[in-house]
Amino acid sequence: MSLRKKKVDVNDDNRISSMVEHPSVGDRIVDVIVILVCALVAFCSLVPMWHVLMSSLSDGKTLLASSGVAWLPVGDFNLEGYKHIFKDSSILTGYANTVLYTIASTALGFFLAVMSGYAMSRDTKLKGFMIMAMMFPMLFGGGMVPTYMVIRKLGWVGTRWALIIPGCTNAMFMVMMMNAFNSVPKEMYEAARIDGAGHFRTMSQIMLPQAMNLGSVIILNSVVGQWNSWLQASIYVPNKRNLWPLQLFIREITANNENFLQTSNPDYSRYLIRYAVIVAATLPIIVLFPFFQDKLEKGVIAGGVKG
Amino acid sequence: MAREKAKFKPPKVTWKQDAKRNWPVYAMYLPAFIMTVVLSYIPMFGIIMAFEDYEVRKGFFGSKWVGLQHFQTLFTGAEFLGALRNTVCIMVIKCTIGFVAPILFAFFLSMLKSKRYKRTVQTCSYLPNFVAAVVVTSLLTEFLAKDGPLTMLLTKFGAENQNWLANDKIPVFWIIYVLMGVWQGIGWGSIMYVASIATVSGDLHEAAAIDGASRLQRMTKITLPCIKPMIVMMFVLNVGLSFAAGYDSILLLYMPSTYNVADTVYTYTYRMAFGGGGNNYGLSAASGLFQSIVSTVLLIGSNALSKKLGDGNSLF
Repeated sequence: MSLRKKKVDVNDDNRISSMVEHPSVGDRIVDVIVILVCALVAFCSLVPMWHVLMSSLSDGKTLLASSGVAWLPVGDFNLEGYKHIFKDSSILTGYANTVLYTIASTALGFFLAVMSGYAMSRDTKLKGFMIMAMMFPMLFGGGMVPTYMVIRKLGWVGTRWALIIPGCTNAMFMVMMMNAFNSVPKEMYEAARIDGAGHFRTMSQIMLPQAMNLGSVIILNSVVGQWNSWLQASIYVPNKRNLWPLQLFIREITANNENFLQTSNPDYSRYLIRYAVIVAATLPIIVLFPFFQDKLEKGVIAGGVKG
Repeated sequence: MAREKAKFKPPKVTWKQDAKRNWPVYAMYLPAFIMTVVLSYIPMFGIIMAFEDYEVRKGFFGSKWVGLQHFQTLFTGAEFLGALRNTVCIMVIKCTIGFVAPILFAFFLSMLKSKRYKRTVQTCSYLPNFVAAVVVTSLLTEFLAKDGPLTMLLTKFGAENQNWLANDKIPVFWIIYVLMGVWQGIGWGSIMYVASIATVSGDLHEAAAIDGASRLQRMTKITLPCIKPMIVMMFVLNVGLSFAAGYDSILLLYMPSTYNVADTVYTYTYRMAFGGGGNNYGLSAASGLFQSIVSTVLLIGSNALSKKLGDGNSLF
């Protein structure tokens, strides 16, 4: 793609806006429409999350009776929902599990991507074979059930391994890492090798710092993906609640949310749990995201160039 | 990677020399290779399950061979054929509405004059992409319930008051599902196009403006043709991927009463193996194999097509 060669800055539109123009009335109208449409998209993107945040701060009984989007906390402002979360040991377990899976899978996955990416980027006789061997599974896979059977044979079904190991061999990440190492100047590599650094040392001390731009994108993508994943857990540990990640608890809470109403004296603040738990699960990612926005954007562009 | 090829040919390296020189490289490759073999290549042999009456105790090689019986079951029963129809229809809607939305949004973004406003809009529109599928579907369920905010809005425009997700009339679920994808992906999907629009030469725009071309004319006559190769490439990639990927959220949205419109090949595969309906692994493997083959054919075909259409760009 021509994108990479030209070194595009995503937001480099100064040229066009600095152009000499004499806006007509029609242009002004177009401008207004464009601004409004963009505002509408931004608004629609935010409303559902805002609704959840405000609902989680509402009064349970009033909220249950009201309908429509909660623009502000409904009824009296309170934190009952969050108190329930901290009382409920299963949700805390879910949180701990999610953190564990995210860190373990990302660390292991990054390690594998760096090692194999480096190997695939070197001039060896098996280079072509190594790349092919990694790319082919992106094209064709055995499918859900055979994979399940293999993992079952390994004895991982019903254990944490099934949630950590399969997620970390991501061919896409390995190929991205290979591209990152390929783009490090050859001279750096040769100088390090001539000075007597071994492969591992060259890779970790000389090449990796230069390839970290794309490397950090891989880490971020992996963290987001793992944090939000639920399907793996629903396949491999459906009955082991102590191994569930947070997402499965959210699924359960939203599915059975109104059961508490059937008791004789319902505790309406239980209605808030679903909102509080969604906030607790989503906020970390959403708050962190804007800091990494530029990096992630570049990752999308780099991934689209060759992916 | 277009690195200049060296003019001289390096002396031929024998396998022995290569092994001696590069064994650490191969050693570094080994862990990932073993993992890939175990988790990707061995399951490929597992596709023989699709031709067996698979029993967990007996394993891949001990189970009874039944030939094409599972495929016969799939293609004569209404359930799988319905799932196939739904998959194709959702795919078509996804590749039209779902594909055009981010492009339009990118155009709108590139027409914004205030850089700070544009950045803010972009940041907001990216957020849904980071919200977990479980959360998105739970919100959707709430918003489209009988007294949900979206249902209320639709009722105001004259639609019947109902739980929209329980509606089993034909295009309703498909459109809801695609629009959910649009909500989640419109910002994130526009990144490529925004970047691509930014590469369009400013000189062209200036020249056209001097000649009296309006903004709209410049958009359709200059920007659009300039980013067309990119759009074609993305379209082809979308089609290639859209048969197999992106249906897992349906598992969180559908219910037995809407299986006839919401079931897809992917969810059917899941349901047969892990859903409540008994562990029919053989049937599920057969449906999974069908899905793998179709998506592989689509990917290879779309890659060939994008090589042909988009001046030599290909995905792999």
